[in-house]
Amino acid sequence: MAALQAILNGLLVGGIYALIAMGMALVFGVMRLVNFAHGAFLMVGMYLAYFGYTLFKLNPYWGFGLVGAALFLLGMGVYWLLVRRVMGQSDFLQILLTEGIALCLIGGAQLLFTGDYRSISLPLADKTANLGPLNFNVAYVVSFVIALLAVTSMYLFMKYTEMGRAIRGVAQNRLVAPLMGIRVQWISGVSFAFGVACAGAAGALLLPIFYVNPTIGGPYNLKSFVIVVLGGMGSVEGAALGGLILGVTEGLTAYYWSDSYTQVVDFVLFLAVLLLRPQGLLGKKAP
Amino acid sequence: MRRWLPALVFFALLVSLPLWLKDAYLQQIVFRVVIFAVLGIAWNLVGGYAGQLSLGHVAYFGIGAYSVALFHEHFELNPWLGTVLGVVLACLAALLIGSLTFRLRGPYFALSTIAAAEILRLLALNLSFTHGAIGMIAPAFFAEPNGDTKTYYAALPLLLLAFAVATYTHRSRFGYYLRAIRENEDTAMAVGVNPAVEKLKALLLSAALVAAAGALYAGVFQFIGPDSVLTVDLSVQMALIAMLGGVATVWGPIIGAVVLTVAAEGLKAYLERAHLFFYGLLLVLVVLFLPGGLVSITKLRWFRRSAARAQAG
Repeated sequence: MAALQAILNGLLVGGIYALIAMGMALVFGVMRLVNFAHGAFLMVGMYLAYFGYTLFKLNPYWGFGLVGAALFLLGMGVYWLLVRRVMGQSDFLQILLTEGIALCLIGGAQLLFTGDYRSISLPLADKTANLGPLNFNVAYVVSFVIALLAVTSMYLFMKYTEMGRAIRGVAQNRLVAPLMGIRVQWISGVSFAFGVACAGAAGALLLPIFYVNPTIGGPYNLKSFVIVVLGGMGSVEGAALGGLILGVTEGLTAYYWSDSYTQVVDFVLFLAVLLLRPQGLLGKKAP
Repeated sequence: MRRWLPALVFFALLVSLPLWLKDAYLQQIVFRVVIFAVLGIAWNLVGGYAGQLSLGHVAYFGIGAYSVALFHEHFELNPWLGTVLGVVLACLAALLIGSLTFRLRGPYFALSTIAAAEILRLLALNLSFTHGAIGMIAPAFFAEPNGDTKTYYAALPLLLLAFAVATYTHRSRFGYYLRAIRENEDTAMAVGVNPAVEKLKALLLSAALVAAAGALYAGVFQFIGPDSVLTVDLSVQMALIAMLGGVATVWGPIIGAVVLTVAAEGLKAYLERAHLFFYGLLLVLVVLFLPGGLVSITKLRWFRRSAARAQAG
């Protein structure tokens, strides 16, 4: 039963991982760009949610949409000012640029907010619900449900809207897409901003159950790399599944081995997938 | 002879520095410049010449630093033996990590090097014989008085060695192989270069230099922990040093190390926590406006124009 509880805890965290990683998968799929600043944008989202709560009493469970919208605009700005200039250049420069953006965001947060750990306490976070022998922390459940709703609506958006089709078109073939009347620059910008918004919204959902400080994004950055590779680089559905898998793996590692080795297992899994199955768990062909 | 003049002047300056620079704090900055120059040069072999964006080089630095401390604490070996063992261990680690990660290309390679380095950091953080997050005390290489100055003189031959390796790589067939791999791995293979072997050679050289630098670093700062000698930030810093000065050049990483260390120290006096922001800004600016690094500044249009104006005026 305790093992079942571990799996359940892992699933609940995995929902949020799915949302984070989906943003990164979207950016990679459309732009072939690995966004090393993804975790830093998540951190920005957490700070926005934090100040939204402490200054304006905005509950993160309502405010996550606003945080996502703000991060969408930030992502747009970063795309037009910086990222756009390295599109089509070597991935060497692209990676270094996004890493530079990450350092700017983390360093900026350190300057503005110091390195202090901050957290909010929602009354919700102390409640637990029971289902038979299993315990649910209510805050985790709410975050999980919202994250899954966000993932699902993103999936439907990609599948059924004109914009979603255009995004998938660019992801499939950057050269042919403009011949079909798709504005590739514009779609790239929107996808980048969507990816950043996912990270920001996920940050807002993490805030009630976690603390925030400037370097909090690092582990999530690495985790989303792991998840995106698990799901097959660039596959949005794969990333959602990969998030859940990673969450469960972490839950089981914590239960059977030790809490401090969850990340070691993450990275071993990551290397194993990269080396043995680079197309991801769901992918059909090598990328 | 003319060709070697800049190197001669540079090393003469470094050798004489402790004689006229008595301030301990300034001496420590110079030591740091030397160590970072070694790191930049070493990273440049893999990241610059071979074009393999490694963001896990800190693994070898950490192995060097931790070897000195671990062999001292558990086997009472002196730091010199610890350094030698550290270099050997780092080469073994490079062999393992390289043979796994070099199969991957582009962003996949960069990510996998981070993963390998992070595994080491997490192990150092969680194992009991490395004392976890508390870190370890590393032995000094020389007894007081002037122990740090003596260690500085031990670091200079390392820089000279790194410089020699870089010069050799720049002109030798080996260096051209690496550049061929950077430009196009498949084409390089088609003309008879074995990318797997050449990349591994570059990584072994690089890892050995980085590990030795890590050992000396531990000897001077004498306190090491997972968050000081195994953090991803240090890997990024190595890349930044090479990028800032100029990738795939001999002098680039040296110039990068001088500029970055001096600027960061100067900035620290004004803004305590600003260094990360500063590194990030620098990285963004270099990537966007000066991808060839500072050594390429003479090729910029505004530089040429203002130089021409100065001449005309």
